[in-house]
Amino acid sequence: MKPADLDDLDRPWRTWASLIIGGMLAFSIVMGFVVIPVVQGYGAGIDPFTAICRAVGLVPGSPSTRQPTSAAKAEPTTQVAWSTQLLRTLSRPTDMGAVVAEGCVACHGQRGIASDPQNPNLAGQSAVAIYKQLHDYKTGSRANDIMTPIAQTLEENQIRAVSVHFAAANRRSLDPTTAEVVDEDIVRLVERGDPARALPACNSCHGFSAGGPIETPTLSHQNREYLARQLRAFRDSSRRNDIYTRMRSVSAKLTDREINRLAEFYATTLQY
Amino acid sequence: MAVSEEAILRSELRWTIVVTGTITVIMVAILYAGIVHHINPPSNIETVDPKTLHLTGEFTEENLGTSIDAGGQITARMVATQFAFQPQCILLPANKRVTLRFASPDVIHGILVTGTNVNTMIVPGYVSQVHTVFTRTGDLLMPCHEYCGLGHSQMWATVRVVPEAEFKPDGSGRALCDAR
Repeated sequence: MKPADLDDLDRPWRTWASLIIGGMLAFSIVMGFVVIPVVQGYGAGIDPFTAICRAVGLVPGSPSTRQPTSAAKAEPTTQVAWSTQLLRTLSRPTDMGAVVAEGCVACHGQRGIASDPQNPNLAGQSAVAIYKQLHDYKTGSRANDIMTPIAQTLEENQIRAVSVHFAAANRRSLDPTTAEVVDEDIVRLVERGDPARALPACNSCHGFSAGGPIETPTLSHQNREYLARQLRAFRDSSRRNDIYTRMRSVSAKLTDREINRLAEFYATTLQY
Repeated sequence: MAVSEEAILRSELRWTIVVTGTITVIMVAILYAGIVHHINPPSNIETVDPKTLHLTGEFTEENLGTSIDAGGQITARMVATQFAFQPQCILLPANKRVTLRFASPDVIHGILVTGTNVNTMIVPGYVSQVHTVFTRTGDLLMPCHEYCGLGHSQMWATVRVVPEAEFKPDGSGRALCDAR
């Protein structure tokens, strides 16, 4: 057969195949975007136009169910919202940092290492973490008799500057001879968590460059008294500036012994 | 050996009938599900700013969990965050149509409720919404099923389905599990 004859033979197949596929497409569009949404919307008391818009994806919701509404007012646990611009300023040292830091040395030490273990060390802490806590003290999301009035006198740019200043300081050096050998279950909690209690490993957020929420502080080289006190404050909800109860729900599952031993672990460990 | 044109035509027609029949059955099933059971693809295009999720009204900490609005619609709201669900347990009645709404402030998470067909990804920037009816009562496990970081394997929550008679929301229309 000549090629021209083959073409003649194929033509009706091509025509019919195209017509059927085109017809099915048109049928599907009409059924899926118009008929079914309107029928479903009719049953749920939704007007046809809204139902079609929902089916097409122009407005939220399903054509067959009323869209839930919420009249809840925002009750933020913290006013801090991270933006690229804010995070960028928290990586830039300024001259102002050292000046503002002079107001901190009495409790937090000349180089950000506190002499009283009840106070946290700031040296080497992440600037993002220090910024969030100072900001929270300022706005009242976190309360402390000493820190609240101090933070309230600070301007936004001073908070940023002092956070960067302490982040750049060298961390407390640890004495290898005092490193506590801690129990196996505590190390497991730190490194692997406890799936049965839905407890994520401490280090999945608090380890160095671990990922997790950006504002999580690093815990090693911190003071044990301070760590244990904060875990207890989270547990009884007297401290509640953790976004979405991350630390409140974790600490509620910890026993007293675990809190003490975890604080001891992070205060003395040489591993992280 | 050459096959006659007529034999080819017969064979093609036979296969066309089989394919047309298969597609018709599938189409009828979809139409039936859509019109009789009001089933839709579980899509919901609704955006929300993940950076300010905790500052907005609906996904503020106090508003999470199960609530019933004035129209009697039951909605459970939940936030998936690294590395926990908040709240960690939601209370819902059996055999009633309920709506689950999820949002994430950080990375992509996902959920499935074991023993049901509830299964969705939770993508930051969007509200994931699922309408469903739970028929089995009890504590259903709801793990995070989208790798979200080092704490992913410890991230799970509970969907507590109780008989309709035992589902008693408080005066403000909210119902919570005992455990936080």
